[in-house]
Amino acid sequence: MEPRTFLQRLLARPEFGPFVLLVGEIIVFTLMAPSFLSTGNISNLLAFTPELGMIALGMTMLMTSGEFDLSVGSVFGFAPIIMWTLYNTGATSLEVGFIAGMLMAVVVGFANGWFVTKLKIPSFLVTLGMLLVVRGTALYLTDGFPQGRWSADSPLMDIIVGDFYIGQLRIFTSLLWFIFFALILGYILTQTKFGNWIQAAGGNASAASARGVRVARTKVILFILTSVMAAFAGIVSSIRVSSANPNSGTGYELEVIAMVVIGGTALNGGRGTIIGTVLGVLILRLMRNGIVMVGVPGLAYNIFIGAIILAMMSLHSWLERRHHAGT
Amino acid sequence: MVNENELIRMEHISKYFGRVRALDDVTLAVNKSEIVGLLGDNGAGKSTLIKILSGALRSDSGDIYIDGRKANIRNTTDAIAYGIETIYQDSALVTQLSIARNIFMGREPIIGPGFLNRMDQAAMNDAARDLLKQVGITKNIPPATPISALSGGERQAVAIARALHFESELIVLDEPTNNLGVEETQGVLRFVRAARDSGHSCIFIAHNIYHVFQVVDRIVVLRGGKKVADDIDPKTTTIEAVEKIITGLVGVTPA
Ligand SMILES: Nc1ncnc2c1ncn2[C@@H]1O[C@H](COP(=O)(O)OP(=O)(O)OP(=O)(O)O)[C@@H](O)[C@H]1O
Ligand SMILES: [Mg+2]
Repeated sequence: MEPRTFLQRLLARPEFGPFVLLVGEIIVFTLMAPSFLSTGNISNLLAFTPELGMIALGMTMLMTSGEFDLSVGSVFGFAPIIMWTLYNTGATSLEVGFIAGMLMAVVVGFANGWFVTKLKIPSFLVTLGMLLVVRGTALYLTDGFPQGRWSADSPLMDIIVGDFYIGQLRIFTSLLWFIFFALILGYILTQTKFGNWIQAAGGNASAASARGVRVARTKVILFILTSVMAAFAGIVSSIRVSSANPNSGTGYELEVIAMVVIGGTALNGGRGTIIGTVLGVLILRLMRNGIVMVGVPGLAYNIFIGAIILAMMSLHSWLERRHHAGT
Repeated sequence: MVNENELIRMEHISKYFGRVRALDDVTLAVNKSEIVGLLGDNGAGKSTLIKILSGALRSDSGDIYIDGRKANIRNTTDAIAYGIETIYQDSALVTQLSIARNIFMGREPIIGPGFLNRMDQAAMNDAARDLLKQVGITKNIPPATPISALSGGERQAVAIARALHFESELIVLDEPTNNLGVEETQGVLRFVRAARDSGHSCIFIAHNIYHVFQVVDRIVVLRGGKKVADDIDPKTTTIEAVEKIITGLVGVTPA
């Protein structure tokens, strides 16, 4: 095993492909539509990117442990419904409503984890069922109508989605939350004992549990984490757009999983990267924004997303094979 | 019957798979610092016997004693806690993780305040580097290398290194030399000797009798789920004679 150069190591990193793609995307969009890099557009991008991004961070941890969660979009929609319904009907304060919404997410995440680890039902089926249960509950409780948001002034709102200006750039605090979670989860995944358990559980669960790794507990914790991140993102989003729609978050589960795998995390576990996910989130969000700005019809968005997923998966699998052959 | 030098004793073990009798009243003892070769034709029951010892299967009847005390091995975690390490090709390693992370998997050392849960990766890498040397890997393989980048023999070495580090008393190797080249096979045999020299016991299963003859102190033969020989000394017995016992072409030695 000859020592490899810095460049070779860089090329072999799973984040390298997504990084190149992101840079290329920015260059192409800027050349075609110079206003792409305007402060207005960047503020706009930074406003909604953290919402899906936070779900993607949680999903990265879960997918590294070999599971995934299709119910995140419905939790994203339901958590703000709980918070605003409790507040608007005068039942509780906003803070208590917030806690109630998060507790719902803990229960949903725990239930997902319990079905998957105790009853050994594949996470695809468990979380598909949970998606329908949670979405159905949200629609039933609201009769399908959005919960309008009346006035609330609580310090909680500023903490979750305040905004401030850096020069002309309007920044929402949700961006700071996203960065904060990315740093914490990145640290956990790569530096901690728990992070090693996550990767071991996803890579070879039976070998890991034979060595004393608590595989089931690890996975349950990650299901809860993912669900809680989705609920928090949903509440952030509802405050930003001033409404809680029982249908919001529909389809997010697949977009989030796409972001995670584009970034280089393996769909079947054992390998995960938070840096890659941050890149994957930016790639898809810039794509959605840029396509519209350069004048491609918004409805064509999915064609590009699909193509990116296929291209990135081919790249990752090629790197993987070359890596194995080369040693 | 009490033997001070005895590490493990499996007594009157029987195991049925439906109506197939895989093991019939087998008794197997391993002494401290002893390498026992377990031989037998395909389907003789070798893997079944050691799976019972490593907690992957439960016997229908029979007991296991470790250091003279009765042991209750319900799963692989129990077996590891009793100091029994089983090495099959690959299966006990996480191929995506590094050598060091695999060696310490489940028992990662922590550095700094406990709530930060930070792994001591420097200590893990140092220990892994020493261990690889100890099991005779002379190539300079960085401990951060993922298992997927290692050859079959090197993977066996990592598993053996882990057993050495956590002071497993008994290392069980089920066909560890399958699919390995000449050089790698010699490597594995060297690791096994190294393990014995540092006071560990081994059960070594292989179809290649020549490999078995090179390392073991004593040979036990199973045939059709029964033990047919217990005390073959590879120094005083010929390979041909052992082959005859395995295939059943000579009279059964009383077990
Ligand atoms: N899970 C199982 N279900 C049913 N029968 C089994 C099972 N495992 C083993 N057997 C049977 O038990 C007998 C002993 O099998 P075992 O795997 O212990 O043999 P072995 O000595 O390891 O053979 P080999 O040298 O081919 O590995 C065989 O007849 C086998 O078909
Ligand atoms: Mg076998």
